[in-house]
Amino acid sequence: MGTLELKQELKEKIIQFLNLIEVKPEDIKDDQPLFGEGLGLDSIDSIELIVLLDRTYGIKIKDPKEGRKILVDINTMVDYIEKNRTK
Amino acid sequence: MFYIHNTTCISPQITFPEVDLDQLISCTENKFYTKEIPSTDIPPAILRRMGRAVKLGVVASIPLLKLQAQLNGIIIGSANGGMEDCIKFLNQIIDYEEGVLTPTNFVQSTSNAIASQLGFISKNQGYNITHVHRGLAFENAVLDVAMLLQENPKHTYLLGGIDEIADYNFNIEYLCGYIKKNSSNLDLYNSKTSGSIAGEGAAMFVINNKHEGAVSELKALKTIHTTNEKELVNVFEKFINDNLPENKTIDLFLSGENGDIRYEQYYKTIESVMNSNVSIAHYKHLSGEFQTASAFALWVSNYIIQTQKLPLNMLKKQTVKKNINTILLYNNYQGYQHSFMLLEKA
Repeated sequence: MGTLELKQELKEKIIQFLNLIEVKPEDIKDDQPLFGEGLGLDSIDSIELIVLLDRTYGIKIKDPKEGRKILVDINTMVDYIEKNRTK
Repeated sequence: MFYIHNTTCISPQITFPEVDLDQLISCTENKFYTKEIPSTDIPPAILRRMGRAVKLGVVASIPLLKLQAQLNGIIIGSANGGMEDCIKFLNQIIDYEEGVLTPTNFVQSTSNAIASQLGFISKNQGYNITHVHRGLAFENAVLDVAMLLQENPKHTYLLGGIDEIADYNFNIEYLCGYIKKNSSNLDLYNSKTSGSIAGEGAAMFVINNKHEGAVSELKALKTIHTTNEKELVNVFEKFINDNLPENKTIDLFLSGENGDIRYEQYYKTIESVMNSNVSIAHYKHLSGEFQTASAFALWVSNYIIQTQKLPLNMLKKQTVKKNINTILLYNNYQGYQHSFMLLEKA
């Protein structure tokens, strides 16, 4: 799967996992912050995203400091998935 | 016990935000869902995490929270709470071998998710509790709030009864024979089979001790666990003797009969020991059967007293036409959890 396809898939998964009503994949920009003023996600969402990475890509994030660097935006997540996915 | 002021109700019928019970909504299968829940008043960030029961309770409560800024507590009866989310969460434990689980389903699955969400939204830090006693969940909430008002006579509370149709629970109840195979609410009471139709809804009440501005007054409540008809009749007669003055009569008996042939006898027995001049109505064809359907019954009774409109589709037996100022409500859940409530015009 190419990077563009992975980005599209990840956006769809995020919308599905977080039940983001009224958000479409094209509404999420690759460099838009996921938390705070960007997509407006919160701390519970961060756990949902960690579960998403585990279930969908076989990536286990155990260190919270590591998570902060990965769950920044779509670009950082996709970069980490491409390097670390096990499925 | 207490006075009922403002109320709201979300049900399978046209009850929210406007009420039109003459236009009977029918169901063609054995699940009687509420109409689509309008949720424009809930911030999207909160809405996306809400399960059906939470959404029902919150949407029904928001108009009351807007009207009544000063609430001293939130008391909810919900036998199952967010059951659908609960089952999702439990299934995840199995599917993912007790590994990493999502928090949202867990947070929304507890019975007290509705009352706590209401507390968050209204920033209410007062008494906040949920009663979960199956078919008497709402009645226990009523009892709790009545005792609270005895301790705090100047307080005002939000009281509610809420339950959802959850697929997993529905399947269990269906397999146990509590739900009919194929049924319509239009011929519910003519059925000669066991089971009823599954229903859901949320009925919310602002209540306090103030007569001024109130629509009705809940005069008394009695609950009993029994399958013994004689014991039930004794409790009923004592309930009437203790709470209905000799110079007053019951204008309407609101029966909770649900089309289940097994429990019909309880309703017939209570009807038989009542004065033959009492008109009789029923409501489960409007709401379906669920553990907190008695909250719908209290809401519709309050509505009838307020508007003096008794929809024809509710009427089982009419005696002399007169004003409806005193309503006796009787409900039983699965034949062993019985409740009587006496409601009067304020």
